[in-house]
This record gives sequence, C-alpha cells and structure tokens, in this order.
Amino acid sequence: MIRVALLCSLVLVTGCSSNRPTPRHDLNGLLRQSVNSRRDPSLGGRWFASLGQSNGRERVELIDLRTRSSIPLPGLNRADAQPISVSVSADGQRLAVVQQREDRTELVLYRRNIGATQRLPLDPPGVPRSVSLDGAGRRLAVQVSRNGRWDVDLIRLP
Amino acid sequence: MPRPLLILLASLALVGCNGRSERAGGALLGTSQQAPALSGSGKWLAVVSDRGGRPTVQMRRLSDGSVVSVPQLSRHQPHSSPSLSWNGRYLAAITQRGRRRLAVVTDRLNGRMHPLPLPGGRDPVQLSLAPDAQQIALQVTDKGRWRVELLDLSDLLEPDRPPGQSLSTPALSSEP
Repeated sequence: MIRVALLCSLVLVTGCSSNRPTPRHDLNGLLRQSVNSRRDPSLGGRWFASLGQSNGRERVELIDLRTRSSIPLPGLNRADAQPISVSVSADGQRLAVVQQREDRTELVLYRRNIGATQRLPLDPPGVPRSVSLDGAGRRLAVQVSRNGRWDVDLIRLP
Repeated sequence: MPRPLLILLASLALVGCNGRSERAGGALLGTSQQAPALSGSGKWLAVVSDRGGRPTVQMRRLSDGSVVSVPQLSRHQPHSSPSLSWNGRYLAAITQRGRRRLAVVTDRLNGRMHPLPLPGGRDPVQLSLAPDAQQIALQVTDKGRWRVELLDLSDLLEPDRPPGQSLSTPALSSEP
C-alpha cells in the first residue's frame, strides 16, 4: 500500500513539475521597449495588439510576433482620440477599438487593408467600454453602459 | 474602361465598406454583464456577470443562447478578464486565491484547470489567450506601470485550431 502511495505521489509530482508555462523572454523584452506603460493585451495568433503609452500619450499598437516588428496603423491613432480598449482579429487585418474623442466614447472598426476607421453605431445608444472581435473579424462583442447597468451587444460586421 | 465607370465602381465599393453593421442581438441576459470575450470561431461568448453578488464567468453558446456550465470556475470569485480559444475548448480567466489574483486556463474537454502563477508573485490584471491557446498575454503592474508579459503554453496545452486547418507534417521526400 505504501509503495502504491509512493508511486502515485511520484507520478503526481512528475506531472506537476513538467509542462509548465514559460515566459517568452525574447518578446517580453521587446514589449518593454519603446513604451513607458502597456495595457489591454489582445492576442490574435501571431498578431499582438495593446495600448502603449509613450511621451504621455496612449496609442493602439500592433506587433507582428513572428517578425517582432511594429505594424504601422495609418489613420487610427488620431491626436484627438484616447483609446480605451482594443481587440485584433486572428489575421491581424481588423482591429476593433473603443476610444474617446470630442467628449464622446465611440466604437470603431479599423481595416488595415484600406487604412481607415469606420464608426459602429450602438442601437439603442450607450457608452461602449470593452470590446472583443472573433478570429475572422466578422463578429464583435462589446460591453455597453445603458441606464446605469452593463450590457453586452453582439454586432455582425460586413 | 471609361473613367466615369471607374469612379462609379469605386464609389460603390466605398459605400459597401461603410455599410451599417447588422445587429445579431441586443442585451443577452437579464443581469449586468461585463468583459465580453468571443471565441475565435465567434460561436462562443464568455462574460463576467453577477451570481449571488459575486462576479462569475459565464459561458454561452451563441447559436441557441444556452449557458454552458464551467464547473472549474464555480469558485474562486471574483472572476475577471475571461478569454476563449478558437473553439471554446480553453477558457482563461483571472481568479481569486486568498489575497492573491491568479490566472488560470480551464480545459473544458478534460476538465483540467491549469494555474499560471507569475514570477515574482505579481498579480495579473488582464489577460488574452491566443486563439490556438499556445500562448497567453498577461497584463501586470510593475513599479506603478502596466506591463504585458507573454507566456508560452505549447508544452502545457494542445492547440485548439480552426476546424479544417491542416496540421503541419514533414514534407515527403521526392527521392526514392
């Protein structure tokens, strides 16, 4: 009985000690560079979107983890916009962003292939907060404040 | 092609790009819900909603709106920041263990729960699981700043790939 217990313990210990998550030191060093602060991560396969702060300003950043390069997002980070939440599709082509602009909080979709943002209206109106895109970037879930409580809306995208 | 026709086609394309989004549904549940996370397939949704006053992750199949039980996450509230893999097999979230916050990944296929303790005893704030569940991004606080750390999960979890995606196999040699 003691032998069986010892064997079981050994198996359990072996099972716990192997197969551990390992930090991606190479990429974590890259993520620390160039920004003072980084938050709101979104992983879409090889694509990593987040909100990075540098020089006192927060911007949406997209990094290709395979090539370790920052991807330009022309037309997205407007000087008068403050990003709140970001989500990237699995192919890295679409980013959903909640941002504050001109005293208004809005939900926008950014398409990299045309380098343009499209505002997505909420119906009934509400204040968006947190957003999530599916892998294809064709469906979106967004947390919306309405009448003093949080809802989740689903939106199909063209 | 005549220039006016080209301009017309370009205009039609722009109108198509700016078309209004179709709403798939309004408020999904009767209670307040936060931090939505879609699976890569878009067929599953995880949210944080109040259950008996405790913020708890709830998972929902969008095809019929049914709530799916995740027994591994019935305790250790408050929960926050859920994230789903492609087919919803893996559900990652931040849970409470005593006075610490702990990120976990649950495997709904075999019922296992994998804790992801951070080096240095730091607490996770927000997370994002890659659609194939082979890595996870964890937002932490470091010296008063936000930082994001990536963890490789490929030794821990089987990939959760889109249906029909071929697995990489060694190339066959053309030589006899």
